[in-house]
Amino acid sequence: MRRRTQFHLPRSWKFILFPGLGLFLLLAIAALATPVQATPFYQGDGPSNDFCLACHQQEGIDITLGSESLPVTINPTLFGLSVHSQESIACVDCHTNISDYPHPEVTAQSTRDFSVTLGEACRDCHEEQYNAAPDSVHKRALTEGKENAPLCADCHNPHTQGRLIGTESGQLTIAARLHVPQTCQQCHSENYEKYKNSVHGKALTEEGNLDVPTCTDCHGVHNIQDPTTATFRNTTPALCADCHDNAEIMDKYGISTNVLETYVADFHGTNVKLFGDQSPDEPTNKAVCTDCHGVHDIAKVDTPETGIALRENLLIKCQRCHPDATANFPGAWMSHYVPSPQHYPIVYYVNLFYKIMIPAIIGGMIFFILTDIYRRITSRGKGVQHS
Amino acid sequence: MSAKPKAYERFPLARRIEHWILVLSFVTLAGTGLPQKYSNSPVSVFIVRALGGVENLYDIHHFMSVIVMLVVIYHLLTIAYHVFVLRSKWSMMISLQDVKDALQVLLYNLRIAKSPPKMGRYTFDEKFEYWAFVWGYSIMGITGFIMWNPITATRYLPGEFVPAAKAAHGGEAVLAVLAILIWHMYHVGIKRSAKLMVTGMQTEEEMLDEHPLELEAIKAGLADRRPDPVTLRKRQRIFFPIAALMTIVMLTGVYTYITTEETALTTIPPISTTVESPLQTPNLRESISCDVIPTRKQNMILLYQKAY
Repeated sequence: MRRRTQFHLPRSWKFILFPGLGLFLLLAIAALATPVQATPFYQGDGPSNDFCLACHQQEGIDITLGSESLPVTINPTLFGLSVHSQESIACVDCHTNISDYPHPEVTAQSTRDFSVTLGEACRDCHEEQYNAAPDSVHKRALTEGKENAPLCADCHNPHTQGRLIGTESGQLTIAARLHVPQTCQQCHSENYEKYKNSVHGKALTEEGNLDVPTCTDCHGVHNIQDPTTATFRNTTPALCADCHDNAEIMDKYGISTNVLETYVADFHGTNVKLFGDQSPDEPTNKAVCTDCHGVHDIAKVDTPETGIALRENLLIKCQRCHPDATANFPGAWMSHYVPSPQHYPIVYYVNLFYKIMIPAIIGGMIFFILTDIYRRITSRGKGVQHS
Repeated sequence: MSAKPKAYERFPLARRIEHWILVLSFVTLAGTGLPQKYSNSPVSVFIVRALGGVENLYDIHHFMSVIVMLVVIYHLLTIAYHVFVLRSKWSMMISLQDVKDALQVLLYNLRIAKSPPKMGRYTFDEKFEYWAFVWGYSIMGITGFIMWNPITATRYLPGEFVPAAKAAHGGEAVLAVLAILIWHMYHVGIKRSAKLMVTGMQTEEEMLDEHPLELEAIKAGLADRRPDPVTLRKRQRIFFPIAALMTIVMLTGVYTYITTEETALTTIPPISTTVESPLQTPNLRESISCDVIPTRKQNMILLYQKAY
């Protein structure tokens, strides 16, 4: 009997086996191609998702954890749209302790506790992301015992998380880019409010502009570093220049691409550059991009109320570090202009003066010296020699 | 002078010390200043590292600039002493004769003129260098003040003067360094011996070669005729109190120069304080029934509509 079934599969099996094999191959290729290596764990020896959903799609089912109650209803439609469902991840791949009904007793004493315990399951497939940076701010907050520090599932709800990385592009999808601020604002609502009204945030949230930075472009993802450190501050110019030196992006908006160059040419920038090379971890009191332009609330420089192209607005920024500065003081900063007869003519003409005078004077000196050498060489052997 | 009959003292010890202090300060100022102008150069980075950071670089630069200011004050006092007490000749003054001398040297070098000019205590090239320094240090002093005290400066001047001062300070520095390397090094390192600034002495042959008119004057007993002791003491009695007063005034000036303002706070205030609203519960619970996901879907739909 057994032998017969092995060689002569019932017809209905073939319909399952061959498309199944094809799907498996496809998934394997997809898994190799995408940076997020989410290998399907479901081996088919546990209950199927349909089996779980048979109960869990019912509205209003809860479990009690200590004094809290946790709803355990799963919306099958939303779950169906999730990347996990699409990649055929089984419920029991994450809920590994469950294999049947009745379920083993939950020992967690709070819903948060429950999330922390279950969060370990992410590591099985997303080890790279899980280990991305043990020193990230969030991870550190968590190890410091701040129980509200975000776990994987706080940003990526495993039951509803859509695909973030395009399977072909290998890049963050457009939808994901636009959604990032929504995720971060769950906790960082104040910064989100500022960002939303900033030149970057407005373009992203209102126009779906893909050139502007979303949260993760500056802060990174998973390995998010503390942005209040001296190290982070000292690298700000390089961070901003990543996009602002890129003509491909800036030309579209008529924004200058030599902002870093002009910054480094100025006192603040020279200092930060030389300083950063020597001691990148030491705090400096010299201004970096964000000191004048703001962080999350970066505005267009020509906005009348806050735009720093206006001297009065810039003076307020100057006074943060130079409390005694008066009305003329902001003029000392050349506003990222390269001096020209139109912009900062005095500086331009001083530079021009030395551009002419240095070669003229030094050239004259060299000429004079050469004639002296000529005289000496030709006088040799004629007995006329200087000491 | 009398011990070696054929040697003449050109620079007394005080002058030589003054010179070498200037050398030290000039080299240090250039070494700590040019890295600021050429901050992208690996040499600059090396110097900053060697000095233990850019703040040390500034401190050394500022310290040496004070040394220069003090040397300048001393120099002005000695000039005043020579002018008002000793009533020496103004041997460093430029005259038409210097232009003629320069021209003649050039023509002589080019074998057009037959003989070199006869020059006095200071030759035209020395005067040129001296006055170049007067000009250079004046520029450096003024522009340095503006950069050291930008807030005070912009109370009276347009803001643009600050970057202009920086441009001039840097341009002047390059000019000065090149002039020293080329002009000074050629004249006193190659053409003449630098030993003069160590011993202060020149032989008669050297004097005849370089300063024949001065030699003639010395021999004729016309050079450096000191006033008689009585007159000298009388003049000194007037000079010293005034000089002391001037010294105090000038030192006060230096003190003001370096302490007039606290340009910037040493620790800048943090950009903003972030109030975070912590997660109340695991959001698993909420998003199952909340509208985050539909919003995202709307977003996606919107975008796809945009894309196609």
